[in-house]
Amino acid sequence: MEKAESSFTKGVRFTGKFGFTPLGLAMLFVLAIFPLVLQDEVITRLLISALMLGALAMAFDFTAGFININNFGYAAFWGVGAYTSALLAVKLGVSPWLGMLAGGILAGLLGLGLGFLTLRLAGIFASCMTWFVALAMFAVTANWVELTRGTSGLSVPPLFNTTGNIEYFYTILIMTVLTYVGLKVIIKSHIGTAFRAIGQDLQAAQASGINVTKYKIMNFTISCAIAGVLGGFYAHFVGIITPTVMNTSHTVEVMVLSFVGGRGTIWGGLIAGLVMIPGMEYLKGLMELRLLIYGVLMITVMIFFPSGLAGLYYKVVQFIRKNATLTKFKK
Amino acid sequence: MDMDAMQLFNIVLTGVLRGGLYALMAVGLSLVFGVMNIPNFAHGEFYMLGAYFSYFAYSYFHFGPISSILLAAVGTFILGAITEKTLFYPLRKRSKKNWIMNTFLLTLGISIVLQNSAKMLWGNTYRGITQYWPGKVSIASFNISNDRIVGFCIAMVTIAIFWIFLNKTTMGRAIRAVSQDETGASIVGVNLNVIHTLTFALSCLLAGLAGAILLSISPAYPFMGIQPLYKSWFVLILVGMGNIGASIYGGLLVGLLETFAYMKFGSGWQDVVSLVIIIMILIFKPRGLFAKKGVKSVSE
Repeated sequence: MEKAESSFTKGVRFTGKFGFTPLGLAMLFVLAIFPLVLQDEVITRLLISALMLGALAMAFDFTAGFININNFGYAAFWGVGAYTSALLAVKLGVSPWLGMLAGGILAGLLGLGLGFLTLRLAGIFASCMTWFVALAMFAVTANWVELTRGTSGLSVPPLFNTTGNIEYFYTILIMTVLTYVGLKVIIKSHIGTAFRAIGQDLQAAQASGINVTKYKIMNFTISCAIAGVLGGFYAHFVGIITPTVMNTSHTVEVMVLSFVGGRGTIWGGLIAGLVMIPGMEYLKGLMELRLLIYGVLMITVMIFFPSGLAGLYYKVVQFIRKNATLTKFKK
Repeated sequence: MDMDAMQLFNIVLTGVLRGGLYALMAVGLSLVFGVMNIPNFAHGEFYMLGAYFSYFAYSYFHFGPISSILLAAVGTFILGAITEKTLFYPLRKRSKKNWIMNTFLLTLGISIVLQNSAKMLWGNTYRGITQYWPGKVSIASFNISNDRIVGFCIAMVTIAIFWIFLNKTTMGRAIRAVSQDETGASIVGVNLNVIHTLTFALSCLLAGLAGAILLSISPAYPFMGIQPLYKSWFVLILVGMGNIGASIYGGLLVGLLETFAYMKFGSGWQDVVSLVIIIMILIFKPRGLFAKKGVKSVSE
């Protein structure tokens, strides 16, 4: 006689549909109450940065980990979102919330356009193309001074009229969770399977009848749109933006988080962000040595742990499971 | 804007000089990508190291100009060989999955380490020299400093020697064999590990040479490698990856393109123009300008 499913198992299966394991939910809960418990502005700001970069890393992984295209111009879409939202607020007095959405839409449209242009190209050439477009956008933003005030910077009205950071924290937390759930739901659907097929073997995917171009562009657009929304958030959080937001170094930062976290897992980037951003900040006293450590870390991870933190986690889980079943049999 | 003969000549000269050095670097980059399948984003850092080595040789140890430049070349060669043996070799042994992305990130890590090591060791200040060879040459009413002439000649001679090396010597043919088919090359007895180390070391040598030559024109500082890196990648994409010979023309092309854009549009918009042109080319000729059989395919 089958045992009826306990309500706990039912609950786990339900949340699993949205990409949450019990462990993940627990960690999310801890994260959510963290700033309330700790009440430290510095740590809260740090967490805000970590969450934002983590969310960017997740959206980046959506493209890099699944359809195997590295959007090396990612920072430009983030920057476009930032500038769109900022300019709408400054020039037209649009509410920052709408501005963020507008930033996302514009970035998404740009992603759509760029996708059409570049996604016919293979792997690294598509990456280079996105890189060049980002460099061009950076130069345009820096030089179109009448619109963007160029390198002198653009002052942006804040999201909340408070001196504290708590509201920003919860905003970005909700945005990050929404990003995660949204991406996970898409990945778990047949669309995600199509993405994976495209990433693993393009010709086999084409042979199975998948419209490769359609899915590639869909993926790319979504990823860029998310970057745009997060860029809008960044603009209203930091209060001033310069063209350097589109700098390749930001793309590299996001890329590193995404890869150290684990390609193709989505959540890997977030965890990597939550670990590395506070970590790097903690080491700030070491100045150049800090960046040196960062570089060495990248090298080590790439050589010895190419599947990232997520890979490490799965190995540990496998190890535990293996030993757990062995002890069961011993009885 | 009226461009008289003098201005035009200057533009062409500057463009050709820069192009020559871009060509030198692009050939190295193309070599590493064609043979080892590594997109080297630390290439600019070896350019930087070459400049620093030459600076120290010339200013501190008072070597002559030729010796300093040669020393820089040898220094970066050795460093490149060490890098390959300690970093890429273990990765090759461990896993070839996602090779391109993994090595790309690896080179990024290397680039960060090199940049910040240089900053820590030698500070953030510019280390320049006034000139290697004093004096200049006058043709009609145009003046060209000796440095530029000799520099350009060294670059061209190096490329020529390299060309001969790749096409006429056994070692060079072995390198080309590996770039075409690794398995086939090893079947006929090519030692892959030696070839890989040699290729990478040669690539670093070329970058270091470019940095050393340009020392009198562009002083050394830790982050000087970023611009040349971008430009080398432009050339590579423009020309079609894996096409070593065409990188030479591509380098000159990019150099001229850049200088013209600078003259016409000023330094701000120069980048935009160059990039837009390259993007246009990529859209209409995705295999690169000089695509030929055996070049790594660009489109799918």
